[in-house]
Amino acid sequence: MEGRPLDDLALVERARTGDVNAYEALVQQYQQLAYRVAYQVTGDAADAEDAAQEAFVNAYYALGRFRPGAPFKPWLCRIVANEARNRRMSAHRRTALAERAHWAQASGEAAPSPEAAAEAGEFRATLVDTLARLRDDDRLILSYRLFFDFSEADMAEALKVPKGTVKSRLSRALTRLRAALPADFQLASGGQVDG
Amino acid sequence: MAEPQRLTDMELERALRELGPRYPYPPTPNLALAVRRRLVARPVAPVRRLMLWRDPRRLVLAAAVVLVLAGAAALINPTSRDAIAHFFHVPGVIVSRVSPLPSLSPVTPLNLGRRTTLADAQSAASFTIAVPADLGAPDAVYVESGVPGGEVALAYTPRPGIPLVKQTGLGVLITEFRGDLLPGFLTKEVGPSTTLQETSVNGDPGWWVAGEPHIVFVQVSGTDYQVQLRMAANTLIWEHGGVTYRIESSLSRADAFRIAAGLP
Repeated sequence: MEGRPLDDLALVERARTGDVNAYEALVQQYQQLAYRVAYQVTGDAADAEDAAQEAFVNAYYALGRFRPGAPFKPWLCRIVANEARNRRMSAHRRTALAERAHWAQASGEAAPSPEAAAEAGEFRATLVDTLARLRDDDRLILSYRLFFDFSEADMAEALKVPKGTVKSRLSRALTRLRAALPADFQLASGGQVDG
Repeated sequence: MAEPQRLTDMELERALRELGPRYPYPPTPNLALAVRRRLVARPVAPVRRLMLWRDPRRLVLAAAVVLVLAGAAALINPTSRDAIAHFFHVPGVIVSRVSPLPSLSPVTPLNLGRRTTLADAQSAASFTIAVPADLGAPDAVYVESGVPGGEVALAYTPRPGIPLVKQTGLGVLITEFRGDLLPGFLTKEVGPSTTLQETSVNGDPGWWVAGEPHIVFVQVSGTDYQVQLRMAANTLIWEHGGVTYRIESSLSRADAFRIAAGLP
Protein backbone atom coordinates (compact mmCIF):
# COMPACT_ATOMS: atom_id res chain seq x y z
CA MET A 1 0.00 0.00 0.00
CA GLU A 2 1.39 3.36 -0.96
CA GLY A 3 1.87 5.89 1.76
CA ARG A 4 -0.20 9.02 1.50
CA PRO A 5 1.83 12.22 1.59
CA LEU A 6 1.49 14.00 4.86
CA ASP A 7 -0.66 17.09 4.59
CA ASP A 8 0.39 20.52 5.68
CA LEU A 9 -1.09 20.24 9.14
CA ALA A 10 0.80 17.08 9.96
CA LEU A 11 4.02 18.44 8.53
CA VAL A 12 3.65 21.70 10.43
CA GLU A 13 2.98 19.87 13.67
CA ARG A 14 6.07 17.75 13.19
CA ALA A 15 8.15 20.76 12.24
CA ARG A 16 7.00 22.54 15.38
CA THR A 17 8.73 19.89 17.44
CA GLY A 18 11.97 20.36 15.57
CA ASP A 19 11.56 17.80 12.78
CA VAL A 20 13.70 19.33 10.04
CA ASN A 21 12.73 16.61 7.56
CA ALA A 22 9.08 17.53 7.90
CA TYR A 23 9.90 21.17 7.38
CA GLU A 24 11.99 20.37 4.35
CA ALA A 25 8.96 18.67 2.83
CA LEU A 26 7.00 21.88 3.38
CA VAL A 27 9.75 23.91 1.74
CA GLN A 28 9.75 21.64 -1.29
CA GLN A 29 6.01 21.93 -1.55
CA TYR A 30 5.94 25.72 -1.37
CA GLN A 31 9.29 26.87 -2.68
CA GLN A 32 8.01 27.73 -6.14
CA LEU A 33 5.11 29.73 -4.76
CA ALA A 34 7.33 31.47 -2.21
CA TYR A 35 9.92 32.32 -4.83
CA ARG A 36 7.32 33.71 -7.20
CA VAL A 37 5.66 35.77 -4.50
CA ALA A 38 9.06 37.18 -3.60
CA TYR A 39 9.78 37.87 -7.25
CA GLN A 40 6.51 39.75 -7.62
CA VAL A 41 7.74 42.09 -4.90
CA THR A 42 11.42 42.39 -5.72
CA GLY A 43 11.41 42.05 -9.49
CA ASP A 44 14.89 40.62 -9.16
CA ALA A 45 15.86 36.94 -9.22
CA ALA A 46 18.68 37.12 -6.68
CA ASP A 47 16.70 39.25 -4.25
CA ALA A 48 13.72 36.93 -4.60
CA GLU A 49 15.86 33.90 -3.85
CA ASP A 50 17.39 35.54 -0.79
CA ALA A 51 14.00 36.68 0.45
CA ALA A 52 12.34 33.32 -0.03
CA GLN A 53 15.16 31.45 1.63
CA GLU A 54 15.24 33.84 4.56
CA ALA A 55 11.47 33.65 4.87
CA PHE A 56 11.55 29.86 5.10
CA VAL A 57 14.20 29.98 7.79
CA ASN A 58 12.40 32.68 9.73
CA ALA A 59 9.09 30.88 9.37
CA TYR A 60 10.63 27.78 10.89
CA TYR A 61 11.73 29.65 13.96
CA ALA A 62 8.36 31.40 14.12
CA LEU A 63 6.35 28.19 14.06
CA GLY A 64 5.87 28.55 17.79
CA ARG A 65 3.66 31.54 17.05
CA PHE A 66 1.79 29.80 14.26
CA ARG A 67 -1.82 29.09 15.21
CA PRO A 68 -2.34 25.32 15.22
CA GLY A 69 -4.71 24.26 12.47
CA ALA A 70 -4.36 27.49 10.51
CA PRO A 71 -3.43 27.29 6.82
CA PHE A 72 0.31 27.35 6.33
CA LYS A 73 0.39 28.76 2.79
CA PRO A 74 -0.92 32.31 3.39
CA TRP A 75 1.01 32.61 6.65
CA LEU A 76 4.19 31.70 4.81
CA CYS A 77 3.41 34.09 1.97
CA ARG A 78 3.02 36.96 4.40
CA ILE A 79 6.50 36.28 5.76
CA VAL A 80 7.88 35.95 2.24
CA ALA A 81 6.35 39.24 1.12
CA ASN A 82 7.75 41.04 4.15
CA GLU A 83 11.20 39.65 3.54
CA ALA A 84 10.97 40.58 -0.12
CA ARG A 85 10.00 44.17 0.68
CA ASN A 86 13.09 44.40 2.83
CA ARG A 87 15.25 43.43 -0.08
CA ARG A 88 13.69 45.35 -2.86
CA MET A 89 16.21 47.53 -4.56
CA SER A 90 15.01 50.14 -6.91
CA ALA A 91 17.97 49.86 -9.25
CA HIS A 92 17.54 46.12 -9.60
CA ARG A 93 13.89 46.60 -10.02
CA ARG A 94 14.17 49.01 -12.91
CA THR A 95 16.51 46.64 -14.72
CA ALA A 96 14.21 43.76 -14.01
CA LEU A 97 11.23 45.58 -15.43
CA ALA A 98 12.83 45.81 -18.81
CA GLU A 99 13.93 42.17 -18.60
CA ARG A 100 10.49 41.01 -17.68
CA ALA A 101 8.84 42.84 -20.50
CA HIS A 102 11.38 41.35 -22.88
CA TRP A 103 10.81 37.80 -21.58
CA ALA A 104 7.08 38.24 -21.72
CA GLN A 105 7.28 39.32 -25.32
CA ALA A 106 9.55 36.40 -26.19
CA SER A 107 7.57 33.73 -24.36
CA GLY A 108 4.79 33.27 -26.90
CA GLU A 109 3.84 29.77 -27.85
CA ALA A 110 2.85 28.38 -31.25
CA ALA A 111 0.55 30.98 -32.77
CA PRO A 112 -1.86 30.99 -35.66
CA SER A 113 0.22 33.54 -37.47
CA PRO A 114 3.37 35.58 -36.97
CA GLU A 115 1.24 38.69 -36.65
CA ALA A 116 -0.94 37.14 -33.92
CA ALA A 117 2.10 35.89 -32.04
CA ALA A 118 3.69 39.28 -32.14
CA GLU A 119 0.49 40.91 -31.00
CA ALA A 120 0.04 38.47 -28.11
CA GLY A 121 3.64 38.89 -27.07
CA GLU A 122 3.33 42.63 -27.07
CA PHE A 123 0.13 42.36 -25.08
CA ARG A 124 1.79 40.23 -22.41
CA ALA A 125 4.81 42.48 -22.27
CA THR A 126 2.62 45.51 -21.74
CA LEU A 127 0.61 43.78 -19.04
CA VAL A 128 3.70 42.53 -17.22
CA ASP A 129 5.36 45.91 -17.41
CA THR A 130 2.28 47.70 -16.13
CA LEU A 131 1.81 45.23 -13.29
CA ALA A 132 5.40 45.75 -12.24
CA ARG A 133 4.77 49.47 -11.88
CA LEU A 134 1.84 49.00 -9.54
CA ARG A 135 2.30 49.32 -5.82
CA ASP A 136 3.18 46.11 -3.99
CA ASP A 137 -0.16 45.56 -2.33
CA ASP A 138 -2.01 45.82 -5.63
CA ARG A 139 0.37 43.52 -7.44
CA LEU A 140 0.30 41.03 -4.59
CA ILE A 141 -3.46 40.83 -4.32
CA LEU A 142 -3.79 40.47 -8.09
CA SER A 143 -1.12 37.79 -8.09
CA TYR A 144 -2.60 35.88 -5.18
CA ARG A 145 -6.02 35.82 -6.78
CA LEU A 146 -5.38 35.59 -10.49
CA PHE A 147 -1.96 33.96 -10.74
CA PHE A 148 -1.91 31.71 -7.66
CA ASP A 149 -5.65 31.14 -7.27
CA PHE A 150 -5.83 31.96 -3.55
CA SER A 151 -9.20 31.90 -1.81
CA GLU A 152 -10.45 35.13 -0.30
CA ALA A 153 -9.65 33.79 3.15
CA ASP A 154 -6.09 33.00 2.13
CA MET A 155 -5.68 36.42 0.54
CA ALA A 156 -6.90 38.07 3.72
CA GLU A 157 -4.40 36.08 5.77
CA ALA A 158 -1.53 36.62 3.36
CA LEU A 159 -2.15 40.36 3.19
CA LYS A 160 -3.14 40.66 6.84
CA VAL A 161 -6.34 42.49 6.01
CA PRO A 162 -9.93 41.80 7.12
CA LYS A 163 -11.62 39.18 4.98
CA GLY A 164 -14.47 41.57 4.22
CA THR A 165 -12.15 44.04 2.52
CA VAL A 166 -10.48 41.61 0.12
CA LYS A 167 -13.03 42.04 -2.68
CA SER A 168 -12.93 45.82 -2.57
CA ARG A 169 -9.14 45.83 -2.49
CA LEU A 170 -9.04 43.50 -5.45
CA SER A 171 -11.44 45.74 -7.33
CA ARG A 172 -9.37 48.82 -6.57
CA ALA A 173 -6.23 47.04 -7.71
CA LEU A 174 -7.89 46.19 -11.02
CA THR A 175 -8.99 49.79 -11.40
CA ARG A 176 -5.48 51.05 -10.82
CA LEU A 177 -4.06 48.47 -13.22
CA ARG A 178 -6.49 49.58 -15.90
CA ALA A 179 -5.63 53.20 -15.31
CA ALA A 180 -1.94 52.42 -15.62
CA LEU A 181 -2.30 50.58 -18.91
CA PRO A 182 -1.73 52.51 -22.13
CA ALA A 183 -4.88 54.20 -23.39
CA ASP A 184 -4.91 52.11 -26.53
CA PHE A 185 -4.37 48.83 -24.71
CA GLN A 186 -6.80 46.18 -25.94
CA LEU A 187 -7.13 42.44 -25.87
CA ALA A 188 -5.13 40.60 -28.46
CA SER A 189 -6.76 39.44 -31.69
CA GLY A 190 -10.04 37.64 -31.21
CA GLY A 191 -10.11 38.70 -27.57
CA GLN A 192 -7.43 36.15 -26.68
CA VAL A 193 -4.45 36.98 -24.58
CA ASP A 194 -2.36 34.04 -25.63
CA GLY A 195 -1.11 33.65 -29.11
CA MET B 1 -11.41 55.97 -36.20
CA ALA B 2 -13.30 54.94 -33.02
CA GLU B 3 -11.74 55.42 -29.58
CA PRO B 4 -10.42 52.13 -28.16
CA GLN B 5 -12.68 50.59 -25.54
CA ARG B 6 -11.24 50.21 -22.05
CA LEU B 7 -11.20 46.66 -20.68
CA THR B 8 -13.88 45.68 -18.20
CA ASP B 9 -12.97 44.12 -14.86
CA MET B 10 -13.93 40.71 -16.18
CA GLU B 11 -11.80 41.11 -19.28
CA LEU B 12 -8.88 42.31 -17.23
CA GLU B 13 -9.24 39.39 -14.80
CA ARG B 14 -9.36 36.97 -17.69
CA ALA B 15 -6.30 38.53 -19.25
CA LEU B 16 -4.41 38.17 -15.97
CA ARG B 17 -5.53 34.58 -15.44
CA GLU B 18 -4.28 33.74 -18.88
CA LEU B 19 -1.05 35.59 -18.28
CA GLY B 20 -0.41 33.70 -15.01
CA PRO B 21 1.00 30.47 -16.48
CA ARG B 22 3.12 32.49 -18.92
CA TYR B 23 4.41 35.04 -16.47
CA PRO B 24 8.15 35.34 -17.06
CA TYR B 25 9.46 34.11 -13.73
CA PRO B 26 13.07 33.03 -13.54
CA PRO B 27 13.49 29.30 -12.77
CA THR B 28 12.79 28.50 -9.13
CA PRO B 29 16.03 27.74 -7.27
CA ASN B 30 16.33 24.74 -4.97
CA LEU B 31 15.49 26.48 -1.72
CA ALA B 32 14.83 23.28 0.22
CA LEU B 33 18.48 22.29 0.22
CA ALA B 34 19.71 25.71 1.29
CA VAL B 35 17.07 26.00 4.00
CA ARG B 36 17.84 22.55 5.34
CA ARG B 37 21.53 23.37 5.56
CA ARG B 38 20.78 26.46 7.57
CA LEU B 39 18.40 24.69 9.92
CA VAL B 40 20.77 21.82 10.51
CA ALA B 41 23.54 24.31 11.21
CA ARG B 42 21.31 25.85 13.83
CA PRO B 43 19.28 22.90 15.07
CA VAL B 44 16.80 24.62 17.27
CA ALA B 45 13.13 23.88 17.29
CA PRO B 46 10.53 26.62 17.15
CA VAL B 47 10.01 28.47 20.41
CA ARG B 48 6.44 28.36 21.63
CA ARG B 49 6.72 31.12 24.15
CA LEU B 50 4.18 33.66 23.03
CA MET B 51 1.17 31.43 22.70
CA LEU B 52 1.99 29.42 25.75
CA TRP B 53 1.88 32.39 28.01
CA ARG B 54 -1.76 32.81 27.08
CA ASP B 55 -2.59 29.17 27.64
CA PRO B 56 -2.71 28.18 31.31
CA ARG B 57 -2.79 24.51 30.43
CA ARG B 58 0.63 24.81 28.94
CA LEU B 59 2.04 27.21 31.43
CA VAL B 60 4.36 24.57 32.71
CA LEU B 61 5.98 24.23 29.34
CA ALA B 62 6.13 27.97 28.96
CA ALA B 63 7.74 28.22 32.32
CA ALA B 64 10.31 25.69 31.33
CA VAL B 65 11.08 27.56 28.17
CA VAL B 66 11.45 30.83 29.99
CA LEU B 67 13.57 29.14 32.54
CA VAL B 68 15.95 28.21 29.82
CA LEU B 69 15.78 31.60 28.17
CA ALA B 70 16.54 33.30 31.40
CA GLY B 71 19.07 31.12 32.90
CA ALA B 72 20.67 28.27 31.21
CA ALA B 73 23.92 28.29 29.40
CA ALA B 74 23.14 28.32 25.76
CA LEU B 75 24.84 26.79 23.01
CA ILE B 76 24.77 25.57 19.58
CA ASN B 77 25.60 22.36 17.90
CA PRO B 78 25.27 22.32 14.18
CA THR B 79 25.72 18.72 13.59
CA SER B 80 24.17 15.38 14.18
CA ARG B 81 22.90 14.52 17.58
CA ASP B 82 23.44 10.88 16.78
CA ALA B 83 26.91 10.97 18.14
CA ILE B 84 25.92 11.08 21.78
CA ALA B 85 28.84 9.44 23.44
CA HIS B 86 27.80 9.79 27.02
CA PHE B 87 25.03 11.06 29.18
CA PHE B 88 24.11 11.10 32.76
CA HIS B 89 20.96 12.06 34.53
CA VAL B 90 20.39 14.01 37.70
CA PRO B 91 17.04 15.26 39.01
CA GLY B 92 15.56 17.73 36.57
CA VAL B 93 18.57 17.90 34.31
CA ILE B 94 20.09 15.70 31.64
CA VAL B 95 23.52 16.44 30.32
CA SER B 96 24.62 14.76 27.11
CA ARG B 97 28.06 14.64 25.61
CA VAL B 98 27.96 15.06 21.84
CA SER B 99 30.49 15.13 19.08
CA PRO B 100 31.72 16.78 16.96
CA LEU B 101 32.37 20.12 18.48
CA PRO B 102 29.47 22.58 18.33
CA SER B 103 29.72 25.74 16.28
CA LEU B 104 28.43 28.99 17.62
CA SER B 105 25.56 31.20 16.64
CA PRO B 106 25.55 34.96 16.94
CA VAL B 107 24.89 36.49 20.29
CA THR B 108 21.20 36.72 21.09
CA PRO B 109 19.30 38.74 23.68
CA LEU B 110 19.34 37.52 27.25
CA ASN B 111 15.57 37.71 27.77
CA LEU B 112 15.90 38.02 31.50
CA GLY B 113 12.45 39.47 32.09
CA ARG B 114 11.44 42.81 33.51
CA ARG B 115 14.09 45.02 35.07
CA THR B 116 13.11 46.00 38.54
CA THR B 117 14.34 46.45 42.08
CA LEU B 118 15.39 43.74 44.45
CA ALA B 119 12.40 44.48 46.70
CA ASP B 120 9.95 44.25 43.82
CA ALA B 121 11.54 41.06 42.58
CA GLN B 122 11.21 39.62 46.05
CA SER B 123 7.49 40.35 46.08
CA ALA B 124 7.12 38.46 42.80
CA ALA B 125 9.16 35.44 43.86
CA SER B 126 7.92 32.61 46.08
CA PHE B 127 11.37 32.03 47.51
CA THR B 128 13.83 34.20 49.34
CA ILE B 129 16.17 35.81 46.85
CA ALA B 130 19.75 35.18 47.82
CA VAL B 131 22.39 37.81 47.10
CA PRO B 132 25.97 36.54 47.23
CA ALA B 133 27.92 38.20 49.99
CA ASP B 134 31.05 38.14 47.91
CA LEU B 135 29.53 40.37 45.21
CA GLY B 136 27.14 42.53 47.19
CA ALA B 137 24.16 44.33 45.70
CA PRO B 138 23.63 43.61 42.00
CA ASP B 139 23.92 46.34 39.39
CA ALA B 140 20.60 45.28 37.87
CA VAL B 141 17.77 42.99 38.89
CA TYR B 142 15.33 41.28 36.54
CA VAL B 143 12.24 39.28 37.32
CA GLU B 144 10.14 36.95 35.22
CA SER B 145 6.92 36.50 37.15
CA GLY B 146 5.30 34.23 34.56
CA VAL B 147 7.41 31.33 35.69
CA PRO B 148 5.88 29.30 38.54
CA GLY B 149 7.40 30.68 41.70
CA GLY B 150 9.04 33.50 39.79
CA GLU B 151 12.48 33.69 38.33
CA VAL B 152 15.04 36.30 39.27
CA ALA B 153 18.25 37.38 37.58
CA LEU B 154 20.98 39.37 39.32
CA ALA B 155 23.37 41.11 36.95
CA TYR B 156 26.83 42.36 37.86
CA THR B 157 28.87 44.51 35.54
CA PRO B 158 32.55 43.77 34.93
CA ARG B 159 34.97 45.11 37.45
CA PRO B 160 38.52 44.44 38.55
CA GLY B 161 38.73 40.73 39.16
CA ILE B 162 35.49 40.07 37.30
CA PRO B 163 36.13 40.04 33.55
CA LEU B 164 33.60 40.85 30.88
CA VAL B 165 31.62 37.94 29.48
CA LYS B 166 31.34 38.90 25.85
CA GLN B 167 28.26 36.73 25.31
CA THR B 168 26.25 38.57 27.96
CA GLY B 169 27.96 41.93 28.21
CA LEU B 170 28.06 41.34 31.96
CA GLY B 171 30.62 40.24 34.48
CA VAL B 172 28.49 37.79 36.44
CA LEU B 173 24.91 36.69 35.92
CA ILE B 174 23.11 34.83 38.69
CA THR B 175 19.68 33.31 38.14
CA GLU B 176 17.41 31.79 40.76
CA PHE B 177 14.14 29.94 40.25
CA ARG B 178 11.94 27.23 41.74
CA GLY B 179 13.36 24.23 39.99
CA ASP B 180 11.08 21.97 42.00
CA LEU B 181 8.00 23.49 40.35
CA LEU B 182 9.19 22.73 36.86
CA PRO B 183 8.40 19.16 35.99
CA GLY B 184 10.25 19.18 32.68
CA PHE B 185 13.79 18.36 31.94
CA LEU B 186 16.42 20.95 31.39
CA THR B 187 18.78 19.31 28.97
CA LYS B 188 22.24 20.40 27.99
CA GLU B 189 24.36 19.07 25.22
CA VAL B 190 28.04 19.71 25.48
CA GLY B 191 30.79 19.22 22.94
CA PRO B 192 33.99 17.28 23.44
CA SER B 193 35.90 20.45 24.32
CA THR B 194 33.52 21.41 27.10
CA THR B 195 34.49 20.64 30.63
CA LEU B 196 31.63 18.98 32.44
CA GLN B 197 32.00 18.05 36.06
CA GLU B 198 29.54 16.72 38.57
CA THR B 199 30.28 18.48 41.76
CA SER B 200 28.95 19.45 45.16
CA VAL B 201 27.97 23.03 45.89
CA ASN B 202 27.46 23.84 49.55
CA GLY B 203 26.68 20.16 50.08
CA ASP B 204 24.14 19.91 47.26
CA PRO B 205 24.71 18.20 43.92
CA GLY B 206 25.61 20.47 41.08
CA TRP B 207 27.49 20.81 37.81
CA TRP B 208 30.36 22.85 36.60
CA VAL B 209 30.19 23.47 32.84
CA ALA B 210 33.09 25.32 31.27
CA GLY B 211 34.92 25.78 28.01
CA GLU B 212 33.11 25.37 24.73
CA PRO B 213 29.45 26.37 24.58
CA HIS B 214 26.71 23.80 24.71
CA ILE B 215 23.07 23.38 23.71
CA VAL B 216 20.25 23.67 26.17
CA PHE B 217 16.72 22.51 25.55
CA VAL B 218 13.70 21.48 27.50
CA GLN B 219 11.96 18.17 27.32
CA VAL B 220 8.37 18.13 28.48
CA SER B 221 5.69 15.49 28.07
CA GLY B 222 7.87 13.30 25.97
CA THR B 223 8.47 15.89 23.31
CA ASP B 224 11.71 17.70 22.73
CA TYR B 225 11.54 21.46 22.68
CA GLN B 226 14.99 22.42 21.68
CA VAL B 227 15.42 26.09 22.30
CA GLN B 228 18.22 28.12 20.97
CA LEU B 229 19.36 30.63 23.45
CA ARG B 230 22.70 32.26 23.48
CA MET B 231 26.30 31.51 23.90
CA ALA B 232 27.23 31.26 27.54
CA ALA B 233 30.37 31.34 29.55
CA ASN B 234 31.37 29.08 32.42
CA THR B 235 28.41 27.98 34.47
CA LEU B 236 27.94 26.58 37.94
CA ILE B 237 24.46 25.22 38.60
CA TRP B 238 22.94 23.52 41.63
CA GLU B 239 19.71 23.21 43.57
CA HIS B 240 19.01 23.74 47.23
CA GLY B 241 15.67 23.64 49.02
CA GLY B 242 13.71 23.56 45.76
CA VAL B 243 15.48 26.60 44.35
CA THR B 244 17.89 26.23 41.46
CA TYR B 245 20.84 28.59 41.37
CA ARG B 246 23.01 29.33 38.41
CA ILE B 247 26.16 31.42 38.16
CA GLU B 248 27.48 32.37 34.73
CA SER B 249 30.77 34.17 34.35
CA SER B 250 34.21 33.96 32.84
CA LEU B 251 35.62 33.25 36.26
CA SER B 252 37.56 30.17 37.19
CA ARG B 253 35.93 27.26 38.94
CA ALA B 254 37.47 28.34 42.23
CA ASP B 255 36.14 31.88 41.88
CA ALA B 256 32.67 30.62 40.92
CA PHE B 257 32.64 28.43 44.01
CA ARG B 258 33.70 31.41 46.08
CA ILE B 259 30.60 33.27 44.91
CA ALA B 260 28.43 30.19 45.44
CA ALA B 261 29.64 29.98 49.02
CA GLY B 262 27.64 33.14 49.69
CA LEU B 263 24.46 31.55 48.42
CA PRO B 264 22.35 28.72 49.91
